Amino acid sequence: VSGVGPLARDAATAEFCDAAAAGQFLLRRCPAGHASEPAVAQCTTCGQTDLHWDPAGGGATLVSWAVSWSRPSAGEPARQTILVIGELDEGPWWWTQLADDPPADPEALAAGIRLRIEFRRADAGHEAVPVFVLA
Amino acid sequence: MTPLGKVYGLTSAQFAAEAVRLAVADAGLGLADVDGLLTSSGVSGGISIDLQRDLGFTDLRLLSHMQAYGSTAGAMVQFASMAVQSGMASVVACVFADSPLQPERSAGAAYGTRRAPAGWWGMLGASGVVGANPMYALAARRHMERYGTTSEQLGHIAVAQRAWAALNPVAQLREPITLADHQASRWIVEPFHLLDCCLVSNGGIAVIVTTADRAASLAQPPVHVLGWAQAHPGRYLRRDLDFGLVSGAASAGPAALAMAGFDLAEVDVVELYDCYTFTVLLTLEDYGFCPKGEGGPFVASGVLGPAGKLRLNTGGGQLSGYYMWGMTPLSEAVMQARGQAGARQAPAHDVVLVSGNGGVLDHHATLVLASQAAAQ
Repeated sequence: VSGVGPLARDAATAEFCDAAAAGQFLLRRCPAGHASEPAVAQCTTCGQTDLHWDPAGGGATLVSWAVSWSRPSAGEPARQTILVIGELDEGPWWWTQLADDPPADPEALAAGIRLRIEFRRADAGHEAVPVFVLA
Repeated sequence: MTPLGKVYGLTSAQFAAEAVRLAVADAGLGLADVDGLLTSSGVSGGISIDLQRDLGFTDLRLLSHMQAYGSTAGAMVQFASMAVQSGMASVVACVFADSPLQPERSAGAAYGTRRAPAGWWGMLGASGVVGANPMYALAARRHMERYGTTSEQLGHIAVAQRAWAALNPVAQLREPITLADHQASRWIVEPFHLLDCCLVSNGGIAVIVTTADRAASLAQPPVHVLGWAQAHPGRYLRRDLDFGLVSGAASAGPAALAMAGFDLAEVDVVELYDCYTFTVLLTLEDYGFCPKGEGGPFVASGVLGPAGKLRLNTGGGQLSGYYMWGMTPLSEAVMQARGQAGARQAPAHDVVLVSGNGGVLDHHATLVLASQAAAQ
């Protein structure tokens, strides 16, 4: 449960994955300057389809969080992963895990606390996956 | 309805065909009377318009497979109602069936299938956000943060529905539980304990929609479909300031009641889609049973359960009864409106409000059912 899983790129995510490998989180930006989530094909504010990739600053605030527990099995304690929604400073939201090492204390979380985007890989053969850590 | 729950040995299509045969017979009709068929399938798929051939239906005037996740059952009844109103068809069978459970495989495994780890979906899965549990948990946590809703308050919903299930002979879980049991049940995705989450079931349920004139001469007390509405906010995995706070129920509920000509105060029985306890709490708020944000204190106030004044999820719902997506609240609503719910029958059952919810609070269907043909 802990750690990110394997990830392959496809045609839609290739540019995002290239930037992620270099430590940048790309958003979609329209000619009017609106920022949208990276997966969109048209601006979520005005509907324009003439979008370009634009690096996010990497700062975010916590919108919500949940703690996923593995099913306990013989001899192994249940493990937990903190899953979060972060609101990027540019506006869009992103869903991923809170990947601090050592793990953050879920009891200390509250809406509005500051986060920062980082990237993790399952292993060297897989794409980098965006995660949040406490800022 | 077919036998429901841990029932093995039939495919989803076989469950669906059997459910239609049972519903047609229950109505006092023959298979040759059916001239419309709407089908829907659950997580295991396996149902299509080929069901027409399985049932030997020839010369249908309406046939379609529908998918709006948990709102599909309500949507099928809505489209079937419009079809019979327009004369396009006269007797429409609407069916859902699913068979995700396999012997010696956990219920969680049935719904925990990982998507292929590529593309945007793969990125979500690789991040650990897999399946419905985390998404609904994130929604519930946001409600808790904003309004102070607690896990104990959600527990009141689980306890009340189990008490109703004890009165339902076909419910899967009928042993009473306490708030302490709810709190002690293992975490699935915090803030959800095991007892906040719905069952997984095999089986099939069908309903027959026809004109009021035709229904009057059939075998069962008619249940009139007086109001309906849908709402599809469309903000899944997008910035959504309403996430976890307001769902499509807030627009569909009042619209359906207005169409039927009823006020909320005139509703006798409420059957809400309850994939999680939280879904019930949010829908109660959105439908207006209590002010926004006060769902927690409302459900903890003693209003729920067989001894409470709100007749809510009277069959045990998806939490304790059976999980047939939107057919769970719909089937219980029909039994209540007919006055055939046995030990759990609500004394007043003239107006029944039914919800369907799909995706992560992304798709909503409301039905207003009544034992009389029009608002009095």
